[in-house]
Amino acid sequence: MSLPFIDMASARPWPPRTSAFSKPFWDALREGRLTTTRGRTSGRLTFPPKPFCPHTWEREIEWVELSGRGKLYAQTVIHAAPAAFIGEAPIRNGIVDLEEGVRVAARILGEPAVDASVECVVLRYTDGPLFAFRAALTQPL
Amino acid sequence: MTRRVAIIGAAASPTGKLQTPPDAPLQTLEHEILAPLVIQAMAIAGVPREEIGALVLAMCRPYTLQKYFATFMANYLRLPLKGCIMEVLGNGMTGGMAFDQAINTVALGHADVALALGINMESQAASPEHAMSTMRATGDVDFHTIFGFTPIAWYAMDAVRYMHDFGAARAQLASVAVKNRRHACLNPIAQFRKPLSLEEVLSARPIVEPLGLFEVPPRGDGAVCLVVCAEEVAKAAGTPYALVRGRGFFHDGTHQISDVPNDMIAFAAAQRAAAAAYGAAAIGPGDLDLAELYAPCTIVEVLASEALGLTPRGRGAAEAQAGATSLGGRIPICTSGGCLSRGHPAYVTGLLTIYELWEQLTHRAGERQVANACLGAGSCELGNYNAALIHILEAVA
Repeated sequence: MSLPFIDMASARPWPPRTSAFSKPFWDALREGRLTTTRGRTSGRLTFPPKPFCPHTWEREIEWVELSGRGKLYAQTVIHAAPAAFIGEAPIRNGIVDLEEGVRVAARILGEPAVDASVECVVLRYTDGPLFAFRAALTQPL
Repeated sequence: MTRRVAIIGAAASPTGKLQTPPDAPLQTLEHEILAPLVIQAMAIAGVPREEIGALVLAMCRPYTLQKYFATFMANYLRLPLKGCIMEVLGNGMTGGMAFDQAINTVALGHADVALALGINMESQAASPEHAMSTMRATGDVDFHTIFGFTPIAWYAMDAVRYMHDFGAARAQLASVAVKNRRHACLNPIAQFRKPLSLEEVLSARPIVEPLGLFEVPPRGDGAVCLVVCAEEVAKAAGTPYALVRGRGFFHDGTHQISDVPNDMIAFAAAQRAAAAAYGAAAIGPGDLDLAELYAPCTIVEVLASEALGLTPRGRGAAEAQAGATSLGGRIPICTSGGCLSRGHPAYVTGLLTIYELWEQLTHRAGERQVANACLGAGSCELGNYNAALIHILEAVA
């Protein structure tokens, strides 16, 4: 199932670089899926995705899709933004603990409270996607 | 340690705006600020310049035109060196690493006297442009920087989580800024020496919510020189000195945040480094007379004070508001005024930390002197206290 999309009017202020390895992550995000890697033997997830398992250094990894659901661990609103981001300021960014047990940092939409259930959305900028989180529209069971 | 190491001399410039605009007809030059501090610190040390065997420089900001500034300074000061000459970079702990490497050089016997020094010039760089560089230092360029996180944005998230977990009040956090300004008013090198009220802190324009202008570090320049030596050199010199009693370090193996969810505001690296430092010094936190913490924001001082065991977990902000960490309180913290009011020329802040401990432990601190100061701790860090470096110093008269 695809994550919701939100269309943005501009290009990303600071676009990420894409490597041969990380291309599947950004391709999947463009299609509405948040993904990362997992060590085949260790079974442990990591984020951002890596071509090996950082916990065991095994090089056998697999791509897995994440639900995009989690809890907001912390957040801030950045008023003093770097030059490239002044057009987007003030910026609400935060830290989200995904239900799979992975912590990520991202843009936050709306004003969810700390510990609130949040869900991932894809920001469709004119040059490519970024991920963000907003208060979950449907509460987890 | 292979042999005991002491600090026998120190000098620092005022902190604040030292850098001149690029179009100013007369420029301030880094070496013309730093060299007099070296001469002044060595005069206090009272040892011949020929005994200097090492120079460890906190790397300059990219705004400093002269590259290989360490060897440039060795030439400017005409200093042949038998131990080493190097420039160190450790993000926020750059100054602390310079001090640490000077200690190592002396402890290993490569030099009997070593200079740990630095000059941080950045005040002419506009903040939004400066942030274009610092945003790349605190976070993953391809997975964090893309959202516009700045260094202090991570600390702001600590504040949000702290208030959530422990019910701390905004005013309690803000009181740290008021306390540090009170201390800075007594410090001749401080960048800000005008009293600041709690109301002013709380009503200041937001920078990274919930933190406002007075709860985040000012931009500024500064320069410091410390004279580090073998204890036998200090004893022979016959002047009061500060002995390095203990040292602890820990890096938690993460860059800004752990992808394995953890208690981010426990500052676990600082806990581990502090345990190592206390163990090496054979003391506990209750034995300290003062602590100078690397704390660019109010919340960081609170969390570091808890991680070092100076205040109970979850009570750091309340204790600050109650005066426990003020001059005259149970454990004075940041008697210099700290990053917030003494100033935060980031690459030399770690050296300024040791400078303040040196002033206190050799009873040079004037109106902000902690009575009978004998044991002091200094900390520095990088990231969101992902790494911590802690030194414990002891007064020897």
